[in-house]
Formats: sequence, structure tokens, C-alpha cells
Amino acid sequence: MSEYAQPGVLVSTDWVKENLTRPGVKIVEVDVDTHAYGAGHIPGAVGFNWQSQLQDTVRRDILSRPQFEELLSKAGISPQDTVVLYGDNNNWFAAYGFWLFKLYGHEDVRLMNGGRVKWLNEDDKPLTAEPTEISPTEYSVSSEHLELRARLEDIKAILEGDNENLVDVRSPDEFTGKIIAPAGMTETAQRAGHIPGATNVPWSTAVDADGTFKSADELRRIYLEEGAVEPDQPTVAYCRIGERSSHTWFVLKYLLGLENVRNYDGSWTEYGNLIGMPIER
Amino acid sequence: MDHDRRVYDSIMELLPNEANPSPMVRLGRMSPSPEAFPLFAKLEWMNPFGSVKDRAAFALLKDLENSGRLPPGRAVVEPTSGNTGISLAAVSGLGGHAMRAVVPNKIPNEKKILLKIAGAELEVVSDELCPSPGMGDGSINLAKTYAKAQPERYAMPNQYENDANVRAHMETTGPEIWRQTEGRLTHLFLSLGTCGTATGLARFFREKGANVTVVAVQPSAGHDVPGLRNIAQLDVTKLFDPDLIDEILEIDYELAYVRALELSRNEGLFAGPSSGLIYEGARRVIERDQPTGLGVMIFPDNVFKYTSSMARHLPELAEGLEPTAAGVAANNS
Repeated sequence: MSEYAQPGVLVSTDWVKENLTRPGVKIVEVDVDTHAYGAGHIPGAVGFNWQSQLQDTVRRDILSRPQFEELLSKAGISPQDTVVLYGDNNNWFAAYGFWLFKLYGHEDVRLMNGGRVKWLNEDDKPLTAEPTEISPTEYSVSSEHLELRARLEDIKAILEGDNENLVDVRSPDEFTGKIIAPAGMTETAQRAGHIPGATNVPWSTAVDADGTFKSADELRRIYLEEGAVEPDQPTVAYCRIGERSSHTWFVLKYLLGLENVRNYDGSWTEYGNLIGMPIER
Repeated sequence: MDHDRRVYDSIMELLPNEANPSPMVRLGRMSPSPEAFPLFAKLEWMNPFGSVKDRAAFALLKDLENSGRLPPGRAVVEPTSGNTGISLAAVSGLGGHAMRAVVPNKIPNEKKILLKIAGAELEVVSDELCPSPGMGDGSINLAKTYAKAQPERYAMPNQYENDANVRAHMETTGPEIWRQTEGRLTHLFLSLGTCGTATGLARFFREKGANVTVVAVQPSAGHDVPGLRNIAQLDVTKLFDPDLIDEILEIDYELAYVRALELSRNEGLFAGPSSGLIYEGARRVIERDQPTGLGVMIFPDNVFKYTSSMARHLPELAEGLEPTAAGVAANNS
């Protein structure tokens, strides 16, 4: 059985437990909302709210560099820290956080395999509602890696003939246009369907029932051997709002080691609202 | 406590047990084989807080109290959107404990209001962020979070895992039925949610050495019958023991509503949709196998809290018109 391409970016719940108080290890819970964080979190963990803290709340965009620096400074994180992210919904939003940390050049960021549910359901893992004491820092971004992000222009280039893999990680019903978005979602689009040429590999294909990632061999079979992704070509992953696709982006780039993988955070809520763009169903 | 005169010092004295069983009513017009196979409905809505869940709620709280996990002042937290929440809130409140119900955001308003009336604190979570597989972490995990992170403030009965839920039925429902049927029971028809009722009753009758066929009736996939789980949804509960169930029947969930209406009209049994489904399962087994013996159906609750569900499936009801759904007839015989 082969290993993940970069096994160091994934840590187990046991590893986190053993390193809870190790200096230089900062644990961050990233949730779609921090309701659950408030009810109980890993001791010492900081909570990031994806909706209000991990994106610009006025214009639609990711955090700007100064916003990112401010967020991390207030969370007491330094550039040389080992940051371990975990969160709700099988780490979707933690994976988005991982992408953002990498985009702004944070060297050592890792995901806790299985997320908050795995930790919660293991008897030996402590949970607390005590507020975490934070000593603010002066976080400074040293490099940006915008090559990890796909923009609409990149999608247009693919439509115009660039040879790239386009992976739609939404559910089959969203992909085929049966629904625009899962029921009850506020972020939606005017049209249903998918970007022409995209292959549908739902994000959940990458995880086992307990939310941990499948083995390297299984992931290789799903993404590479079954033809969804041509490994020699650049790859773009997208979903509805860019969080599920961060999860698949993480799989392709770090667990399978593909060279050039980008997350299209505009995703269907950008593309499906555009006038005049081709749509497949 | 005086069951003869039915005069009590506290509503809690009305909780069902062998001395004060929930009533059983024999079906008349809707009984498929009334002579060879008398069919009874055990009316769990006659319990003090309106459903079969009174039994589990009481047993779960007693279990927490007896094991020292629920000292005075500590609250109860439980993921529940329905009858368990109402019963737990009532029983907890009478025992001096607050009750926090973690509920999915898709639950109907009337359920939220009922939980509030019963005294619960409500915590509404987005339980379906994305179609399965890969649902949100859900109300179960949020309730667990409270209990694990704040154990001095919250205790979680955990109806899906706590064997007290099963024991409640071994100690009350089982002996009641045995006494009420004078040991003549041959078939038991029920549904599966937490599986406390099915597992508890099946164990009771097995330990008794009674030869009782246990038939579980399940709604088809995509159903919206409150409180029930179809086969694919059963992994959420740890109380399901397939070895104890003789047959699982899956039935088109629309029939739950149609049969509930028929039970009201033909039998005067104001049964809720899950009871309607259970009746349909019993009817099919009786017509298929032509058994001799005696059947009991566990009717979990009545129809009063499901008027909007009923109207969604039988829309004429809300218009004051006669439902035209197939099979609905005023004089179904």
C-alpha cells in the first residue's frame, strides 16, 4: 500500500491529543458557523467562523492579505507555528481554511483527519467550553500563492480549449441540473447544471464513513485510474461556494501529489449566475 | 395512587406499567380477519405526555439519576425533534431539571412550539447542509458536544444508545401486553425509530419463552413520517438488533397518511401517521399469511400534532373537501 504524497499535512486525532500543549502548535476549529465551537472544542483551540471570518463580508472575495494577517494576529498565530485545522462537516471548511493558509504562504498547516466528529466520538479526547486564552501576535504574510486559486478567466480558458481537468465535486443532482443547490441554501444560482467538460466526482467519494480520507491507493483509483483526472494536466476543482472543492483540492494536491491543482472558489454561485455562458446538464 | 378511581397526586403516577397499562382496543371494521385473528391497537397516546416515548423518557432519566449523572440542577441535553423531546422536557421539568433539545432546522414549526410549551430550551441546528452522504454533523453530535465539554452542566440520556430505552419496554410495555392478552399474543406489529420498543419487546417475549412473531413496518425511502427510520437510516441507532425481528416490511410512506385517516373514520382511533403505517403492515401480513392467533399493534401517538403533515399528503383536508387518495373511503370495510 502506498503512502500519501505529502503525509505530513494530515495528522490523526491521536497526534493532536499528544501535541495539545506543545509550544508552536496552534489548533484552529473552522466551522460554517461557530455554534458547535461554542458548545465545546478541543482545549486550546481557536474558533474561526467561515461565514464571517474567512471571507470578505462586503464584497464577494476571499480574505485580503491584511485581513488574513489581522485574523491570524488576533488568533495568536505566528508564521513559524504548526497550525492544525479541524472542523465540522467532514472538514470542508477546515479544508477551505487550509487552502487560504497555503494561499497566503503559511508553511506548516495540517488537517486533523476526521474532523470534529471523529474527535468528539473518541472517548479519550477531551473537549471543553472554556474560552481559549490568546496572546495576539503581529502576523505578517511573506509570500502569496495565487496560483492555487482559479478565477473565472481560467475557466473561460478551459472552455476555449486549454487542456485541463475540471472536477465538479457537487452531488450528482447538482451536477445534472436536477437541483440548483441543496435545499435551504442561501447561496445559489440562476441556472442549474455544470460547466461543460467537467467530470463529476462528489467530494464524499474521498472519505470513509467516519469522515477520514480513504487510502492513497483508493484515492488514486478513484481520481486517476478511473479517468476523472488526467495527472499530467493542470486541474481545477469547483463546487457551489468553494468549500467542498477545497476538500477535493486538498486530496488531489497533497494526498495524491498532483503538481498543478487550483480551487475555483467562485464555483457554481459565480458561474451559474453569469449571462451567456454555456452550461451542460 | 388509586387506579380504580383514577385519582392521582401527580401526573407522573399516570406513567404506564403493568398495574396501569396503556389501553388496547380491538379493531372492528378494519380488522382483516376478525374471528381467526383478533387485531388490537395499543394506544400509546393515552400516556400522560401523549406518546410511547413517555416510557423511554422516564426510564432514561431514572437511569441518569440512579447512576449519579443527573444531580439536582444539572440539565438534560438530547437530540430530538419529536415525542422524546416532549416527554423528556415534561419529565425533566417535573424533576427539576432543565432540558435542552437540539433539533434540526427542518422540523415543522408546530413541533418547535410544542417543545417550547413542554418547557424545553431549543437549539436549532442546520442538519442538512448537503444531501447525503456527508450530512452535516447534526443534532446528535452537537448534543454530544454539550455533554462531553460541559459535563457539570449537561447530561445526555442518549435514546439511540442507552439500553434504559430498551429496558423500559421490557419492564412496562412487555408485561402489560402479556397481561392484557392473557398470554395469547402471537404477532406484534411495530415500527423502528430508536428501536427501543422493538428490541425491548422482542427480548421480553423471547425471555418469556413466548412464540411471538415480531414484524417491523418501515416507511419507504424519502419518507417524511415523523419518528420513523427506514432501513437505510437505522445505522444511527445502536439499539437495533436484526436477530430479534422476524420480518421488516417496507411500505410506501404515502399509505401512512391514508391509513391514519381511515383509522380515525372507521375505528374512531385518531391515530398518527406512524400508526397508519403499522396498521398497513399488519393488514398485509394478515392477508398474506392468514394466521390464527392474536395481533397487537403499537400505536405510538395520535394524529393531533400531525394536522399539517396530513394536509400535505391529503391536501383536500385543508380545503374542507373529501380526500380523493386511492383507498380512502368513508366506509372502508
